[in-house]
Amino acid sequence: MRTLALAATLSLSFSLKAQFKASAEEGKKLYEANNCGSCHAFDKKVVGPALRGVNQRRDEEWLIKWIRNNEAFRKSGDADANALYKEYGGAAMNIFENLSPDQVKHILEYIKTAPKPAAKATAVVADGDKTKTDSNSLYILLALIGIFIIVLIILGKVRNTLRRLAAEQDGTAEDEGQGSFIKGLLPEKLAKMNPTVLTVFTVVILGGIGFVWSYKFGITEVGVQKGYAPTQPISFSHKLHAGDMKLDCKYCHIGVEESKSATIPSTNICMNCHKGVQKASTAEGDDISPEIAKIYKALDYNPEKIGAEAFGSNPKPIRWVRIHNLPDHAYFNHSQHVKVAGLACQTCHGPIEKMEVVQQWSSLQMGWCIDCHRNAGIDAANNNYYAALHEKAAKDLKNNKNKSQYFGPDGKVRITPAMNGGLECAKCHY
Amino acid sequence: MKSVLYISAGMIALAAICTGCVSRGNDTGWEYAPDMAYSKGYEPYNQGDSNVVNPYGMSMREPVAGTVAKGKEATHYPYDNSADGYEAAKSFNYPLDFEDKAERGKYLFGIYCTPCHGDNGGNDGEVFKRGLGKPAWPNFQDKYIKEISVGQIYHTLTYGKNNMGSHAYALKPMDRWRVIRYVKQLSGAGAEPAAASDSTAVNPNN
Repeated sequence: MRTLALAATLSLSFSLKAQFKASAEEGKKLYEANNCGSCHAFDKKVVGPALRGVNQRRDEEWLIKWIRNNEAFRKSGDADANALYKEYGGAAMNIFENLSPDQVKHILEYIKTAPKPAAKATAVVADGDKTKTDSNSLYILLALIGIFIIVLIILGKVRNTLRRLAAEQDGTAEDEGQGSFIKGLLPEKLAKMNPTVLTVFTVVILGGIGFVWSYKFGITEVGVQKGYAPTQPISFSHKLHAGDMKLDCKYCHIGVEESKSATIPSTNICMNCHKGVQKASTAEGDDISPEIAKIYKALDYNPEKIGAEAFGSNPKPIRWVRIHNLPDHAYFNHSQHVKVAGLACQTCHGPIEKMEVVQQWSSLQMGWCIDCHRNAGIDAANNNYYAALHEKAAKDLKNNKNKSQYFGPDGKVRITPAMNGGLECAKCHY
Repeated sequence: MKSVLYISAGMIALAAICTGCVSRGNDTGWEYAPDMAYSKGYEPYNQGDSNVVNPYGMSMREPVAGTVAKGKEATHYPYDNSADGYEAAKSFNYPLDFEDKAERGKYLFGIYCTPCHGDNGGNDGEVFKRGLGKPAWPNFQDKYIKEISVGQIYHTLTYGKNNMGSHAYALKPMDRWRVIRYVKQLSGAGAEPAAASDSTAVNPNN
């Protein structure tokens, strides 16, 4: 009996001693586990109010009631609670009755003690365009060639003059014309050659180089914009969004299955993520990325404000630079290729999920279209759209009629777009 | 001998000129007959000539406020984007002519939901991993999703909620219901749509 009583007093004294102490560490864990950060930040409004200083703004009792069940608290008629609810446009906070009052105290302790972010130098917004270098390097090369030629000509003149001087000293002055400085450039053996032979020789060599050069990089490229990769008003990276973040192309290009155009996404689609994601993934601190700020500017959106108030009255469209431009006299429809034929975007647009800056991957020449329409096999068996075509092919093969067209270069049976009228002029030109 | 010089210079000039045809970087290269390549008529993404009539030179215009597309008269969602609307949405239910295509729901979920909510609704998508605030419930198997009314999910898909934006731009009304059905399936709350014949429910599609 005595020992029991002793034990009882001991445990009583222990429980008295082990008084509740709010732990910031525990609070941090709870803060993260309950995703408080999805609606709150410490120093700015997100969906809900900024948290820093909340311990001074409200007393603990009030906060515990609000956090655990703000709905019941509001209904109990607390004026402050209802005012707060109104201030945030009726965006109700979730109910956290799973948290005990002690756990809420832990969280409040964490909010109280969380360190302030160190002040940072203002980010310098890079504004210039630095992508000119690509085409500039060509002009630099040409300029260098020009300078090289001028130097050669001057050297030739110098050599001629020296030669004449030497000849004068020897007393065997040659009678040379003004335009012969080219001769001075050439080795003696060549200089003594018949001028006609020399001219033909030069023309053949230089002409050959010129022809190959202009064929490879010139004539066949007129009007072909393969490789065109313009600087866009916002340096949106497909590598980041489609590659690293694994966003489906259709998340943004919503028209691709239903219309002629894949459609350029409107800014509200950007805002589905960028209302919350505001800083560049590589940046430290809370500065808004300059590129994301451009979306906000276009939308006249103020990230400091909440809800409908954040959107101003003066939005301006973003003028993206069009990359793929099929000539006006040719028709192309995305939905036919993506939805019906089931082609991947990459078939024509290349490894877009690896492109930091999008470039035109395919030539978009007619030959390029026709090649695919002649040779690509379409999955006619599992696609209702091609049912009639598939039936006809099966019949033809059975009856040995026009059989050869169904065999590809590899000897396998396939059905091509051409068999479905993919080579008819008026399919694309009308 | 002079001719050699002229011819060489000519060849180099020709090569240089032809090089100008190549497109790279910011340069489209040379084009022939650009008036055949760029539409003179106004097309949605036409940039050849800026549209002189419309603001900002755009060819596309927003429809007048309140426009209802042809054939979409009945798909209008009756509630406001407000707390009251969200509350009222509780009574909103699957339309009478709801035609489930499980594959379609899964397909759309894969495009429009997985970037944040993850393949199986575990809130482990790439966007959440990279710092967009997660919802307070841990995954789609949570009680919250099991119990929330389909009308409220519809409201959220239509207008967005907290960090989530509106997805009405991509999901048509019937597709929204298919996604909701798939979400309910994922949550394990049972695949059957709740009785759609509730006469008090506002049905968008009939």
